[in-house]
Amino acid sequence: MALEGALVVLREEQREDQKLFAELRNDLDTQAWNLALPPSYTEEMHVKRFDAMEFSYERRSARLVIVHKETGALAGYISYTDLQPRLSASIGLVVAKPFWGTRVALDAQEVLLRFLFHELGLRVVHLWTHSGNPRAVGLAEKSGFRISARIREATYRNGRLLDTLVMSLTRDGYGERHAEFQDTLPDPTALLRP
Amino acid sequence: MDVRGYETERTALRALEPEDATPIQAYLNDAALIGCRHLPWSLQDVAPVSRAQVAAAIEEWGKAKAGFTLGIEAKASGRLIGHAGCDWNWDPHCPSLAVVIAPSQQRAGLGSEVSRLLLEVLFLETPAHTVIGWLTSWNAPALAFAAAHGFSECGRIPRAGLRDGAYYDDIVVDLLRREWLARRGGGGRDGA
Repeated sequence: MALEGALVVLREEQREDQKLFAELRNDLDTQAWNLALPPSYTEEMHVKRFDAMEFSYERRSARLVIVHKETGALAGYISYTDLQPRLSASIGLVVAKPFWGTRVALDAQEVLLRFLFHELGLRVVHLWTHSGNPRAVGLAEKSGFRISARIREATYRNGRLLDTLVMSLTRDGYGERHAEFQDTLPDPTALLRP
Repeated sequence: MDVRGYETERTALRALEPEDATPIQAYLNDAALIGCRHLPWSLQDVAPVSRAQVAAAIEEWGKAKAGFTLGIEAKASGRLIGHAGCDWNWDPHCPSLAVVIAPSQQRAGLGSEVSRLLLEVLFLETPAHTVIGWLTSWNAPALAFAAAHGFSECGRIPRAGLRDGAYYDDIVVDLLRREWLARRGGGGRDGA
């Protein structure tokens, strides 16, 4: 089963994708991190990182390339990290500017969430952003994420003190928004509730 | 309190050595601490740990380039009674703070002395603006401890794990530099 949505396909990263990754990393608008990095990353650096990846059955993170189905163009990447199997992970999303406002980001996010909840059986998914990124907050809210932590003034970017935000989507919350999600994975707490 | 000497009235913080694995293992395996032992991410925190695992933790702590984990020694006895750390690996602007005291030594104010010292270190010796703490929702004494030191709850991250057949949350607490200064009564050493 491909990781495919209405607008995008998510696939493994390849060496030729690294040029785009360097470009996204070097654009302060698309870094999407709480902490700005210098815009000095090269394609060669990314290729070295790519070449250093090793096969493992114990993956705790993954980065998937977002391919725009209609044009075949690379639209960015989406990732998960800090995987606690059968429990939780954090996701991250970087979309190239030409695809902003095209619903590509939302489609990619929904495809990854389907994988995390349907295939990996996670109970909650988190993401980190900051209060100066309303686009990211709004996108997360469209998939049902809610702010679970607002760490005051913990981010400094673009000359401003901002709040670091943690947003969370529980398995229940995901199921409420997806009627097609027939959850047969027992909740580990269900039979123990008084 | 001697900030640069890492000493409080009754405790001295010092670098951990391989031979500390034995006393640390003893208190880490106290049932009251399991789940809140502030171990490196690579180690589990739900079951007893071996001396070799503790030795690995000490080695891991020793590799930190942005922050530290130190042993807490009781001056009176010279015994290691806990460990504490500050971590600014992500961003020195918002480091995290953790203090672990052996259950047999708790409720004597030693953890408070250490917390006050480490807040002085972070706010006087580093660019920290927001200090963060991570606690679990089942750990009521730790939540009260954080509040007593001026931390405010700023988040409740759901489903951090399972305990007693129910999900628990991670509670995030924060303390801003200006709040710390206001509580302390000034910006110089010893509040002067």
